[in-house]
Amino acid sequence: MRNSLLPLTISLSLIGGVSPTVIAKTYMSAEEAKQVMFPGKYFSKVQFEISAGIRKQLKKISGIHHPLTNSQFWLAGDGSWFIVDEVVGKHEMITYGLGIDHFGNVKEVQILQYNESYGHQIREVSWRKQFIKKNAIHKIRLNEDIENISGATLSCKHVTDGIRRLMALHSLLLKNLKSHDTL
Amino acid sequence: MQSIKLIKSIIIGSAIVGFAAHAGESNFGWVYGLDLQPKGKWELEQRLQLTRGHATGTYDYWQGRSEVEYGLTDNIQLAGYLNTYSIKSAKNYTNPDACSESLSSCTGGYGVSGAFVEDPSYSSKGIDGVSLEAIWRITNPLTSPVGIGVYFEPTFGRLKDAIETRLIVQSNFLDDRLQLVGNLVFEAEKLKFDEEPIEEIVLDFVGGLSYRVAPNWSLGFEYRFHNDYDGFSFASQTQRAHFIGPNIHYANKDFWVTMAMRTQIGGDCWAPGDAECSDGMVWDSHGRNEYMLKVGVPF
Repeated sequence: MRNSLLPLTISLSLIGGVSPTVIAKTYMSAEEAKQVMFPGKYFSKVQFEISAGIRKQLKKISGIHHPLTNSQFWLAGDGSWFIVDEVVGKHEMITYGLGIDHFGNVKEVQILQYNESYGHQIREVSWRKQFIKKNAIHKIRLNEDIENISGATLSCKHVTDGIRRLMALHSLLLKNLKSHDTL
Repeated sequence: MQSIKLIKSIIIGSAIVGFAAHAGESNFGWVYGLDLQPKGKWELEQRLQLTRGHATGTYDYWQGRSEVEYGLTDNIQLAGYLNTYSIKSAKNYTNPDACSESLSSCTGGYGVSGAFVEDPSYSSKGIDGVSLEAIWRITNPLTSPVGIGVYFEPTFGRLKDAIETRLIVQSNFLDDRLQLVGNLVFEAEKLKFDEEPIEEIVLDFVGGLSYRVAPNWSLGFEYRFHNDYDGFSFASQTQRAHFIGPNIHYANKDFWVTMAMRTQIGGDCWAPGDAECSDGMVWDSHGRNEYMLKVGVPF
């Protein structure tokens, strides 16, 4: 997505998403998603080790087998986080951005890359807004505190599981990290 | 070979149509899973199956099935098929019960009337008929440990009329990349190509696994345990056979393709169907090897 398309992207996402019949591989870059979620806030990209023990807990909590190796993390001075993660889609990976505010609550979710044949409804605001204000004490489970979209079940399930894993990671590790702690 | 040309043109035509895609794709050649069309969505699917090789000589049975699927609800899918066929058979049987004592081989097989048994070869092709299909997904393997569905398919054709039912069971693992699927198949059929109609029951188990080894690509294998019974009862079993083979599946947002083959690893026959067997194999509508190509284009 080029920068010139950013206003279009933002406006479409705010008015309820793009028609599910529109097929596009990349809807939004990580930088664009970060600016949508945290306008004007400065973030530093950070890297850190996740211990085997925490990885084991994350797998147990989320049920996800796909590793976090391709995930990217940005930390702001006030403790807010912006994370780009990927989960298994029906045919390819689904890439999404998660914003976590300095209280440890979900600020926003954006679908960045989605190359599946159906299930585009997960990009709609009505589905994504279910995650806002959730944190690690919430279940964040499909068909419990997150409603499914019929015909998009696999995408809803895997993105929900991915967000539950990231919120658990925040609770177990990220909330205690300062930028000078990171590698 | 006009029907084959028609099938080829449908496959090629399907592959180049660039519609936005939906669901209902099959990772398997012969095993049916519970990935159905979402409500209100359509898919074109073309299947081409080759059953090849009997005891000796030539036996090639091509079966084309052109299908349109529709999601009536998110858990009920309806479909209609146009079935075509092409059979080429030549001196393919060696069983003395099928061939007269003076012949070391004779011509037979599914689709070949007994009237041609002494002919050096037989060939036939054309439109076979139509099938209808309904699948009801009772539980979804994406959200339940075990997905369960039932399947119903009546067929009306020149070669046979049949009613096929399946109990479909599917479990997914490893982020839904691994699918384990099994079908219990019950089919009552009346074969119409011979001089006298033949009524029989088919009771099969087909099952397999498919694992998404990389984005877009899945590999797996499937197995079939086949049983035939004479008449519309289970009183007299006539055939039993085992088949196994690999499958490969490619899918993206616009289309999907599945190729599979299975080989017969052994079979038995009993009267009154023992003329269909020799060398520890079951012939009839089965071959030494069976090949399947499926192309799906959702729209």
